[in-house]
This record gives sequence, C-alpha cells and structure tokens, in this order.
Amino acid sequence: MIFIFGGAYQGKLAYARDRFGLADSDIYRCGESAEMPEGGKVICGLEKWILALVYANADVEDEMQRFIRRNEEAVVICDDISGGVVPADATLRKWREAAGKAATELASHSDEVIRLFCGIPTRIK
Amino acid sequence: MKILLSGGCKSGKSYHAQRLAKAQARQGGALYYVATMKSADGEDDERIARHRREREGWGFVTVERPADIGGILESCDPGGSFLLDSLTALLANEMFPRQGFVDHGAAATIIAGLTRVLKEADDVVLVSDFIYSDAAFYDPLTEAYRKSLAEIDRAAAELCGAVLEAAFGSIIAHKGKAAYEAIL
Repeated sequence: MIFIFGGAYQGKLAYARDRFGLADSDIYRCGESAEMPEGGKVICGLEKWILALVYANADVEDEMQRFIRRNEEAVVICDDISGGVVPADATLRKWREAAGKAATELASHSDEVIRLFCGIPTRIK
Repeated sequence: MKILLSGGCKSGKSYHAQRLAKAQARQGGALYYVATMKSADGEDDERIARHRREREGWGFVTVERPADIGGILESCDPGGSFLLDSLTALLANEMFPRQGFVDHGAAATIIAGLTRVLKEADDVVLVSDFIYSDAAFYDPLTEAYRKSLAEIDRAAAELCGAVLEAAFGSIIAHKGKAAYEAIL
C-alpha cells in the first residue's frame, strides 16, 4: 500500500496521476456512501468514506482493518483534516479524530507515505 | 531568488519572510514591502499598524498594492528585493472587490500577474497562508476561495526556486533547501 496525504487542493491526485500514469477508470472516488471502497488502483478521498462511517455509527477502526486487508496493493489518498480549529459540531469532532487514527493506521501499514504541500511531494516513509 | 513561504497562523511566516527579503537586498538596492491588505475596520488598522511597527528599522519601502499585482513592475525597480505579504489578502481583494460581487477569475488574474513579476524581478519572497487542513465544511464561496488560493500557491511553487513551510518558528524546505540556506 502507498499512502498519500496532505491538505485540501495540494495536488495529491495530480501527483498520483503523474507517477502511476492513471486512467480515470483506475480511480475510485469516495463519496457519501459508507460502503467499503475497493477495486481502484487509487482510492481517492478516503476522508469522505470515514465521514460516512461516522454518520452511520460504524466502528471506524474495525472498518479500517477490513479496508487495509482488501486494498493491500492500492494507492490511498486522504485529506489531512487534522489542522484547524476543533469543530463545535460533535459529529465533525468524531470525524476529525477518526480520520487522524485511520491515517496513522494506514501509514503504519504502508510501504511508502507521501505528503503533498503546494504540489510538492515529500516522502516521509 | 524567488521564494514561496506558507504556513499556519502565527507560524512565524512574516518574520522569516522579512529576514529573507532583507538578506536578498543588494548593497544600495531597493527593499520593497508590497502591502496587500485593504483595511476594512479598526481591527485591520491595528494589525497594519503593528506590522508597520515590526518592519521599522528594516529599511523597507512600503508599496501599497491591494490588487493588480503585475502593476508593481511599473513603479518598482525589478532589480530590488520584494516581499509580498500576502497572497491570501491579494486574493480576497481581487475575488471580492466590492459588496455583492465575486470575481471567479481572480486566481487566473493573480497567476498571470505573479508570473510576470516572478519572470522580471530577481528576488521575491511571497507569503501565503496554509488554510487546507481543517475538519470543516464551508459555504461554496469560502470553498471557492480556498481552492483559488491553493491554485495560486501551486502555480507560485512551480515558478519559485524555494518553497518553504513555516511551522511554529521553524522552517521546512520543500524545494530549494540548499539555495534557501545559502541566503541566510
């Protein structure tokens, strides 16, 4: 697994497209569904799936373990949402913490971890 | 050289940017502070006054340029050392020029102006704000603003020789580490 993270609009997917020469059909885009993302070479927007899990009251840590087992060979892209003000809304607070834990878990299972900043990749693992 | 410096609020961006711009100024050459903020209220007046006080004694010539950034080339010597603080304020002015009006082409306008400045001037430090890592949903206009600023940052990052991130007083060099370290 390769894990790519960074703030919103930092060029994460553009980097993956460049590096892996992706077609649109290679990209699985997470949306509002809590269904397990799988089947793409690249799974993009994982933070959206995590939010859907939080809304569905799912056990996010459990789901992440399943996700990792099913997507061993994937490139996973996730927004870093750990920076701003602690959200006043309880669900968004849960989301922020779940996303942080999930990213840590993904990073520890990944052979390579890359952070994007203003379009520039840094390999941090 | 051309440097983009970004980071969170109170991360030490302005201070580092001033040091870099000052260090890049040539003997007898001009040192420009390109001021982008338009005051909207008393709080802004205070912030502007505080920034001015902090710059006292550094030798900056303040050039007011809240919009049309390419225009600084007409009144300034391109051989001088420029500090532009900040892209964030510049975008706010270009995107929301007056009440009830939004210019969705603001990012493109700024990128065109910046490209001219970065091609013609020798030494430029650009300051931006890293506003991309919060767990929040914004209204479409605020989201469009964040996206526009990120487009400007990324275009500037490509044109700059060094891209730096300020992290609570420390600097992480994402591009041009050796060249940046040679300046100070």
